[in-house]
Amino acid sequence: MIYVENIRKEFKKTIKQPGLLGSFKSLFNPKTEKVVAVDDISFNVGKGEILGFIGPNGAGKSTVIKMLTGILTPTSGSCTINGQNPQKDRKKYVREIGVVFGQRTQLWWDLPLTETYAVLKEIYEVEDTAYKRKMAFLNEVLELDGFIKSPVRTLSLGQRMRADIAASLLHSPKVLFLDEPTIGLDIVVKDNIRKAIAAINAEEKTTVILTTHDLGDIETLSKRIVMIDKGRNVFEGTVSDLKESYGQMRQLNFELERAEELEKLDYKSRFNLSDDDIALKSDGLSCEVRFNSAHAPVSEVVSYTLATAKVSDISVKDADIEEIIRRLYQKGVEADA
Amino acid sequence: MLKKLRRALKMHRIFIAQDLKKLMEYKLDFLTGALGFIVYQTVNLLFLWIIFSSIPQLEGFSYDEILFIYGFSLIPKAIDHMFFDHLWNIGYWYIAKGEFDKYLTRPLNTYFTVVVEKFQVDAIGELVVGIALMASTVGKVNIHWSGLNVLLFIVAVIAATLIYTGIKTITAAIAFWTKRSGQVIQVFYMMNEFAKYPATIYNNAVKFLITYIIPFAFTAFYPASYFLRGDNPLFNIGGPVLAAAVLMTAGLLLWNKGVKAYESAGS
Amino acid sequence: MRRFLRIYLPFCKMGVQQMLAYRFNFIFFLVGEMLSSVVMYFVWLAVFNSSEGETFMGFSMTDMTVYLFVSFAVGYLTYSEGSYAVAEEIRDGSIAMRMIKPVRFDLPFLFQEIGSRSVTALIVIVPICTLVEVYRFAVTGAVVFNIVNFLLFLLSLVIAYLLSFYINVCYGFMAFFLKNLWGANVLKDAIISFLSGSKIPIAFMPAALQTVLNFLPFSSLSYTPVMIYMGMYDLVTIVQKLTLQLFWLAAFWGLSKLIWLQATKRLCVQGG
Repeated sequence: MIYVENIRKEFKKTIKQPGLLGSFKSLFNPKTEKVVAVDDISFNVGKGEILGFIGPNGAGKSTVIKMLTGILTPTSGSCTINGQNPQKDRKKYVREIGVVFGQRTQLWWDLPLTETYAVLKEIYEVEDTAYKRKMAFLNEVLELDGFIKSPVRTLSLGQRMRADIAASLLHSPKVLFLDEPTIGLDIVVKDNIRKAIAAINAEEKTTVILTTHDLGDIETLSKRIVMIDKGRNVFEGTVSDLKESYGQMRQLNFELERAEELEKLDYKSRFNLSDDDIALKSDGLSCEVRFNSAHAPVSEVVSYTLATAKVSDISVKDADIEEIIRRLYQKGVEADA
Repeated sequence: MLKKLRRALKMHRIFIAQDLKKLMEYKLDFLTGALGFIVYQTVNLLFLWIIFSSIPQLEGFSYDEILFIYGFSLIPKAIDHMFFDHLWNIGYWYIAKGEFDKYLTRPLNTYFTVVVEKFQVDAIGELVVGIALMASTVGKVNIHWSGLNVLLFIVAVIAATLIYTGIKTITAAIAFWTKRSGQVIQVFYMMNEFAKYPATIYNNAVKFLITYIIPFAFTAFYPASYFLRGDNPLFNIGGPVLAAAVLMTAGLLLWNKGVKAYESAGS
Repeated sequence: MRRFLRIYLPFCKMGVQQMLAYRFNFIFFLVGEMLSSVVMYFVWLAVFNSSEGETFMGFSMTDMTVYLFVSFAVGYLTYSEGSYAVAEEIRDGSIAMRMIKPVRFDLPFLFQEIGSRSVTALIVIVPICTLVEVYRFAVTGAVVFNIVNFLLFLLSLVIAYLLSFYINVCYGFMAFFLKNLWGANVLKDAIISFLSGSKIPIAFMPAALQTVLNFLPFSSLSYTPVMIYMGMYDLVTIVQKLTLQLFWLAAFWGLSKLIWLQATKRLCVQGG
């Protein structure tokens, strides 16, 4: 279905030279430097699969998506989607894909949603009956009815995202690219969107590539993930593989009532943890403890904390992708050494 | 082909209808916009009127002939403004902010998709003044309106419009390499100021510039002088057609080359 | 006073930095704007060629050239974006934030613009005045430049800028009623270009209109400083004109305060 082989993307960046003279110089004889946004990335996706494509900020996720959707041309390497090369015949290729960029809308700001869809129907030459059927389905899973008459500029972020997803699906694409579809949304809306994506994937066996920051998106939607960092592949496998390999890190935050009690909290010897599995930071009264829940169960850590010191306002969080990657690197460095 | 065209027209109609609906919603805004252009042009006309109250003719052109040329210059400018306004946004910020991405994910020609997106209703102000000026002077200047001349007039207006559009297309496409080119569009576009008056009032360097380099003289003075004086149709009408063809071809080639060189913004 | 400067000087600095950062945009913009003055120069040249006498309504071609370019420079320097700044804040609602800060609402805008304008002043006034003086010397063979006159011109120019700023601030409050500010600004600029005499010297207009225009605030924006530069006024007239400029400045400053007070009340009632 989708084959990505050793793709690489370099950008030329002009170096600003200081001073008035410098800017004149760079106007006529610009000095450029090469920036490698994507170094060497390969992966495959099967038909009907939902692939989680993750990595920290600046890892090159968006650049890869832009190459797969035909917006950018790779410097080297190849990608083949549905047997087509995205750059070769762009107009033909984009008929078979749908794209949603969470950070910006592709809808027309001033058009009411219905008119927007009418224009897209013309653009993609969707037949009347197919269009009606599709709209009915999208209406059901994305609940567009409440705002379908409103201009896009008046929609809330969650509504806009649903509208954008519907817009990308009108022409029944074989592949759907979702770039950060839940960014900035609250939990309830996130959940609705995840359900809708799952329904869409089930309905027509649409292949989905999902880039995200949010492990929750991945956990509910995709069996397999590809993780990249600094433009290279760093992990490929299932979500549980990832968690097993790189530890189930949790983060405990709490406020002490008296700062002296910090000394009494000795997680390391209490749970017999290695330096990798525990980190304690404090700033006055507020403390942050990161620990591996595989070796120190969450409930025991919490009850130990509450029993040892007088504490107000306690909370436990899942480690985010940044944290997993940080640990991934620590392991990598140790393995090298 | 015909089906493609019909599809394109249908899309265009949706955008135009929408911009017209918005006009109804913001009547006061539309009126200020259109009125702004009308007042701006009226001020220029007052200037001409004050000048001509003490001289009988300007470099061999009567007051009415000058008004005819002036009116002629406004019509292609207004039509370009009405249908190709979105090119400014491409130069000013669409490319710099990565907003251009969306045009590349659609199965249509990018230039077409950009252009149909905006129908600039404000341009009606210029169009009305231009037509009014031509209508009020056409009886006072010496023009023979044969069928052929009417046809040539239409050809000249279309060619003149495409001269504007071509210059905007070329300068907007520069942004594919430099990220922003709004100021460049602005400088070249401002040269249309030269088009409002007979090219004979300028010195040779300026005349050469506005005839052969940035050919705004072909958007009004040369075609208008064919209708007024009847001389040299090959240069006066053929010139705008050739200039329009060259500029549009260059513009579209540069645009397509630019789309290939396009590097989406950041992240 | 020290506190005043501590608060507002950073805005001024920001204006200077912005101007320097966007100097290329600025130069392009300047060239574009200058084109219409060049066009007008040729139009006037044709007018003088077509008219019988050496002078046209009391202006020689030399006078006209000086008028065109000095009036361009004055128009450019007194141009204020106050209306955009105010309108932008009204549109995005941040104007409500100004009410809860212990800062005067107009001064941050003003100081930022003064910062950027002082850079433009250096880039525009020096070359244009030098060229104009060289041109005058080449044509008339005499040095007309006079330092007292030039200083009075600068004073008048500063008042003209401040007046322009407050007129624009008042106009910017229109954003409470309008969305299409670009159109509204085309309208305003067109009207001002005529009424201020920057398009056509007021002296060329019919007598009755001259009387009215000389008294209206708009002549203070451009015509007065240009005429002072050209040495068209004697000292008594200069004092009269400067007084009139100051009067209009005070009037529009007061009006902007009044509108601001009204707007504040309205915002409080509507809750922003």
